[in-house]
Order: sequence, then structure tokens, then C-alpha cells
Amino acid sequence: MTIKTTKNAVSRRKALLGLGVGAGALATSGLMPGAMGFAQAQSSAPIKIGFQKHATGIGAAYGRWYDATTTAAIQRINDSGGINGRPVEIVTEDDGTDPSRGAEALEKFEKLHSCDVAFGTLFSHVVIGSAPRAAELKLPYFVVSEGHHVASGMLNRYTLQPGITDVKSQVVSMAPFIANNLGKKVTMIFPDFAFGHDHRDFFTQAIEAQGGEVVAKIAIPPTETSFTRYFPSIPRETEVIYHVMVGPAVLTFVKEMGEFFGPSRPELFGFIDSLEAVGIDSPGLEFLESTYFWEGMPRHVQDNQSEAEKTYRAAVGCDDRGASLDDPADVSTYAHMFGCWETLNVIKAGMEAADYQGPQDRTKLIEAVEAMSDMPESLDHPQGAKRFNGKTHQVFGQQFISKVTEGKMVVEHVATIEDGLYEDEVDYTTQSF
Amino acid sequence: MMRRSNSLIVATAAALMVRSGPAIAHPAEQGFVLLLPTTAYTIAGTLSVFVSMLLMLVLRHGALAQIFKSRPFRIGAPSTKMDLAHLSSLVWTLVLFGLIAIGFAGPTDPQSNLMPLVFWTVFWIAVFIIQGTLFDIWRWINPWRGLAHYLFGDSDGLARLPKWCAAWPAVILFALFQNFLLADVAPNDPPRLAYVISCYWAINFAGVIVFGAKPWLNQVECITVMFNLLSRLRPVTSGRVGMPGWQAVTEAPLDTSRAVFCLLLLAAGSFDGLNETFWWLDQLGINPLEFPGRSAVYWPNLIGLYLILLMLVIIYTFAIGVGIAAVRIVHPQHRLRLSNMFRSFAITLLPIGLGYHFAHYYVTFLVQIRVTLATLADPFALGWNLFGLNAVKVTTGFLAQPDTVKMIWLTQASAVVLSHVWAVLLGHRVAEQHCETARDVIMLQVGVSILMIFYTIFGLWLLASPKGG
Repeated sequence: MTIKTTKNAVSRRKALLGLGVGAGALATSGLMPGAMGFAQAQSSAPIKIGFQKHATGIGAAYGRWYDATTTAAIQRINDSGGINGRPVEIVTEDDGTDPSRGAEALEKFEKLHSCDVAFGTLFSHVVIGSAPRAAELKLPYFVVSEGHHVASGMLNRYTLQPGITDVKSQVVSMAPFIANNLGKKVTMIFPDFAFGHDHRDFFTQAIEAQGGEVVAKIAIPPTETSFTRYFPSIPRETEVIYHVMVGPAVLTFVKEMGEFFGPSRPELFGFIDSLEAVGIDSPGLEFLESTYFWEGMPRHVQDNQSEAEKTYRAAVGCDDRGASLDDPADVSTYAHMFGCWETLNVIKAGMEAADYQGPQDRTKLIEAVEAMSDMPESLDHPQGAKRFNGKTHQVFGQQFISKVTEGKMVVEHVATIEDGLYEDEVDYTTQSF
Repeated sequence: MMRRSNSLIVATAAALMVRSGPAIAHPAEQGFVLLLPTTAYTIAGTLSVFVSMLLMLVLRHGALAQIFKSRPFRIGAPSTKMDLAHLSSLVWTLVLFGLIAIGFAGPTDPQSNLMPLVFWTVFWIAVFIIQGTLFDIWRWINPWRGLAHYLFGDSDGLARLPKWCAAWPAVILFALFQNFLLADVAPNDPPRLAYVISCYWAINFAGVIVFGAKPWLNQVECITVMFNLLSRLRPVTSGRVGMPGWQAVTEAPLDTSRAVFCLLLLAAGSFDGLNETFWWLDQLGINPLEFPGRSAVYWPNLIGLYLILLMLVIIYTFAIGVGIAAVRIVHPQHRLRLSNMFRSFAITLLPIGLGYHFAHYYVTFLVQIRVTLATLADPFALGWNLFGLNAVKVTTGFLAQPDTVKMIWLTQASAVVLSHVWAVLLGHRVAEQHCETARDVIMLQVGVSILMIFYTIFGLWLLASPKGG
């Protein structure tokens, strides 16, 4: 083979050698994932909070609003002097809403980014997949997941949920209002998997304690997209339908239920989770007028709006209907995202109480949070007063029941902290660090 | 144990979540799609494809030859001694290096890091579509071509790539790329993506050094091979203009490796849609409303991709075989070779691949391009506001309104239907090239036409299906 060369041509052999040297340099510099040597955690000026974000995967839509809330909360904390006089920095890692990546994210927070604590996880399976790693790394892990897994005792001393109530508490606290105002004979329609089963079990128990009963339990397969054939199973004696349908077919569910019942229907009670981030005035949802929803925090501004709620709402960039200030059609996950704001304020309060200086003070931080109890309604807790149970690592708070009134969610009833209390199922403080 | 609720928002956001590129799509979107009369639309779309086939029946033999004729086309660009394409390519090599650096050292959130945003949104969606419809953008941004030109001039490589390997290495590399896109646990993770892309760049540059730019890029580097194939669909290509796809039919048949490449492209695009559907997840025994994450579906996605490819190759070969047999029934003396027909018709599937690509990524693009622009304002997360792009707000309200959702769905469905009609036209022209009578032309397409009808239904079903995971 003839080899032609031009004057200005670089030798291909030398170029190949150069490429090899470059790759070697890249490998030894620690940039290649396989060769990545995690830096040892070391104290640095800012306090670093690792934000385990559902940036991709099934939780991404929540992740976006959790991110916005987190950013707003940190800005407020920094504007008021940071924590213990140190600025706070958020280090975001995407967990892909995937348990195995969740554990990896915690690993990166600890070994790569030298974070002081980890925070922000929403989805139960990611929390459950990550929490054991948090304990191994001895990294305080503040979740915003709403799941009962923290208070149920299945996790560990390093995992806490101080900024959002759990579903068991939410469901339990709904029963008195439903029994006293909507009716005592309840038919439950729920998706046939763990999420729906938990609602079924917690609520059945709670309504019976109120003298009511669940007259029918209609489990819908998760992949179902048409519901008409299930409605005839609703007993005639039903006074209230408790629905917790989820997934893309929710709009179809509501439409078909409206077609089935027409103008005469039993009372309807649902969880806003079904329609979180969806405008309640969306076409097709007219049937929901005059029905009731649980809300973690009222999406629409109420007449008695507190100053704290007003300030919080503006800080996270939401308008009076809980939509983005930049786009009134872009509705936020308002019923849940306050949990990020409040959790960060608990971390701040905990670090200040523990005089937190660095990772060596992590156990002091956990003990300081465990020692917390009543937290008054304030800009730190705009959703309302909270009561933290140090033994179960779970916070309790008020819950809202709103009625859809001319396309607006109007708060009809506020369930108290006491309404949502239940017996302790674990005492994490007895576990060693 | 209480599961975190999987609300409408969650499941539908996931549905719009392209496996390779994250979408912050709006939850209501898929809910509204389920309320659309998609069955009626699917019937209408399929009928349109069928009618286009009937229209082919009334064409006189050879009529399409006129339609697919090309004529010279020159843009009156100022002539310059500098080779601007090489210079631009060199600049884009530097841009790529910059993106890789951002991937390694920039923000860890993939929604704030330009590496995954530019790669999955600008490159994989926009550049792909532009290459197949508007102009040869790849020539200007190819990150090896310019550098190789300035370093080595026109010197020969150190070794010669054997001719027999054709573009098979590219087929293998493209399959690996699809593995990464469809099955990898975190293709969006900035350092991970930066690592994969730097390895890919370096391996290919080593190939360019050893074997020379032209042979290596045209036979091994899968993106160039893919874009060269897509180029044949453009109205303006190779300095000539004509009916879109004129070059594809003029230069048919492809060699076997490139024919298989076309099938792989279509199979991967189809599986990318299929693996998100409730139906597919149901087959895997996964509840789409509590999707366990990509790590749980690594092997199903990997196996699924190759299974779909295998099925497509078998069904396509069978369809071609049916056509050949049908011609033989009418004209026993007219013997067409299966391998020749396999290679000839393969490129006619490419418009469907292009149409699916557009339809599949359309919503993701509409959202993610805003994220990309907003991130461009501050690539290193230092609080900058370059080009005033901070003003770009990422909102998804347009996906929460039934009217816009309907418009978007119909746009996607139109892309699918039109791509099939386009494929029918190309197929007819290819058939004309091998048959002497109008009747033979029809017979040769019997199998492929049935395949097209079913593929149209499949494509529209994909768009209308509830998705999770």
C-alpha cells in the first residue's frame, strides 16, 4: 500500500500515540466513572445539602416542583444568614426515580460532594432503596415522601420525615369529617396495588372507628382505561364514594363516572393526588363540582390566607390558583411540595440547635431533630403547625378538605393534628447510631 | 408499607419521558389523549395509507419515474477558498469537547447540564430531523472530519478497511448505541454521558487516524452512516433537487449492511415507543403506575430491542418473499432475487423511521428545547445570563389544555401517516424499477403493502396507548 503524505500533515502514528496518552491522562485524572476516586468528605465553608431529585423517570414532574421549592427555600435561608452563619449549597443528583440510583446518589453525596445531609426524596421505592445506604454511610437522610415507611419502623435512625405527614395520618384524619358530614356508608374505588390497598386498609379501620362502614371495595386493575363496567357494582345504599384513582386514565374515570350517575350521585370524596398538577377546571372534570378532596395544602388562595402562606406562595412562583406565575395553565404540585420548604427549615433549626459544624456532628443533628416537638405555624411552616414525633421520625400536621365550588377548591374543613395521630409503631431513638 | 401515590401526573409524566431524554411534560396531556377519539383517527389514518396505495394502482407504469426525477440545484453562496464545512466541523469538535467538559465538571442535575440537553434534545432530535428533511447539517458539525482534514490532509491511512465489512461495523455500533439509549440505567447522567461520548469520539478518531476519515466514517462510525442514509430522503441532496426520497429510489438497492441498518433504525424507533406502553409493561408483569425504574427493566429492554429487530427482519423478508411469489404467479418467467429485493425495498422503510422519530420525540422536544435554552444562559451554573436567555421560562401549561393536546396528537399522527404514504410512494417507484408491467409492480408490493397497513395501525396505536414507566 502506498502512503501519501502532504507537507502539513501530522504523522498518523504520532496522533494515535497522542490519543492514547490523552485517554490515559483522562483515566488517571479520575474523570472516568470506573476510575473515579471519590474525594474524602471534608469540612468546607458552605453547608452542603444533597438533593436527591427525581429529575428523570416516573417522578420527574414532581421533581421539577420539588426543585423549584427547594431553590426558593434555600434562597430564603441564605438571605437570612444561612445556617450557623454559613451559606447553604444544594448539590443535586438525579436518582432517575430508581431505587438503585437513589442509593448511588447518596453515595455520591457522601464521597464525591462531601455533603452534610441528604434530602428531598419523594417516591417510596426510592426512599426504601436508599435508606439502608444512608445508615451505612451514617448520612442523615431527610425524606419528603409522604409514605408510611418511616413511621412504620421499616427504615433506620438516619432516615427522618419532619416536613410532610404520612398517608396513614392523612387517611385516618379524613374519617371523622366523612362520617359526620358526607355519610357513613362508603364505597371505596381504588387501584388494585399497594397504594390502593393501603388506602383501603387504613380508611376501613378509621371509618369503622367513627361508626361508619365500607359497604363495597372496588379494586380496579392498574392498567384499566375504561371504568363503566365497574360502576354497577356500587351498592345502592352508598352515601359516599371514596376514590383514589391514579394514572393517565383518571380523566376518563371522572368522565365515565359523571356519565353513569348523571345529576343524582352520592357524595364524592377523593385525594388530590389523583389530580395533582392538573387544573381542577380542566374540561372533562365538571362532574367534580361540589365534590370533596383531601389537600395537603390548599392549592387555591383562601379568604383567610395567612401572611406566611402568601409569602411562601410568591417565593415558589405560584399564582392564586397554584399555577406557575409564568404560565397559568402550568399547575404545580402544591399539595405536596411545601414538604421540601418545611424540611429544609427543620434541617436549619436542627443544625442550629446542635451547633452543627460538620459531619462529625451528624448524630447531634439527628438527636436535635428527634428532640423537636411542636412547631408553630410560621413562614418556616407555612402549611400550618406541626408536631414531630422523635420516636417514629414522623411529623404530624393539619389536613385540608376542600370542596370544588365553581371551579375553585374551597377549604371546607381543617382536620387537626390530633385527628391524624395514631399509635407509635417504632422507637428509632432506641437504635444506636 | 405505604406506597407514594402514583398520581395522574406521575404516570403521564413518565409516559412522556423519553428513555434517553427526560421530558418535563405535563401530566394532563396523556389523560386528554385518552379522551380523544383515537380509534376513529387511527381508522382514518390507516385508510389514508390504503387510499394512497389504491392511487398507485391507477398510475401508468413508469409515471413515478418522472416524479422522482432530480435536477441540479445550486445555492448562490459566495465562493471562498476556505473549506467552510471543514472549518465548521473543527469548531464543532471544540464545542463537543466543551460539552464533554461541562458533562464532567458542570451541574450534576441533567436538567441543568448542557451535555445531556444538547446531546439528547438538539442532536438526537433536531439534528436527526433536519438531516432527513432540510440539509446536510452533519457535514458541518461532524466532530472528526474537520480535525482529520487539518491534521492529516489527504494522506492515506495506516491500514485499509476491508471492503467486505461494508457498513456492518456501523450496524453493530448503532445497536450498541440503541442499547445505551433504551436500556442503560442513566443515559442522562452528565458525567456518564460525557464519558460514553468521549470514549466514542476517541475510538472513532483512532479509527480515522488508522484507516482514514472517509472509509472509517462511512463504514464504521454509525452516526455518519445513519445520517448518510437519511440524507437520501431529502429533496435537496448531492447538489440536486427532487421529490423527497428521489436519491433513495435512484440509488436503491443498498448493500445488505445498510439495508439491515434501515431495519434496525425502524425497529429501535418502534421499540422505543412500545416499551413505554401499558401493554408492554403488563407483559413484563410491571405495574405501570408504580414503575420501579430503569434498573429494573435493563434486560427486558435489551432483549426486547433485539427481539423486535429480529421480528421485523423476519416479517419484512416474508413480505418481500410474498411479493416475489405473487409476481411469479402472474409471470412465471419473471424471477426476482430475494436478496436483491430485500436490499431494494429497505430504504423505503426509512421515511417511517423518520416519521416515528418526529412523532415520538415531538412533545419532549417542545419542552426540552426550552430547558436547553434556559440552561444555555448559564452553562456552568455560575449565575450568568448569556444572550439574555434567562428570560426563557420552562413551563408546560400548553400540555394541560385539551385543544393544544389534540393539535399535538394530530401533528404526531399526521407525521406517522404521511411517513407511510411517503414509504408507499418510494416502494412503488422501487417496484417499478424491477418490473416491466404495471401488474407486476402491484404484485411485487402485495406483502410490503400489507406490512405497511399493519405498521400504520401499530404506529397510531403507539401514539394513542396509555404509557408508563
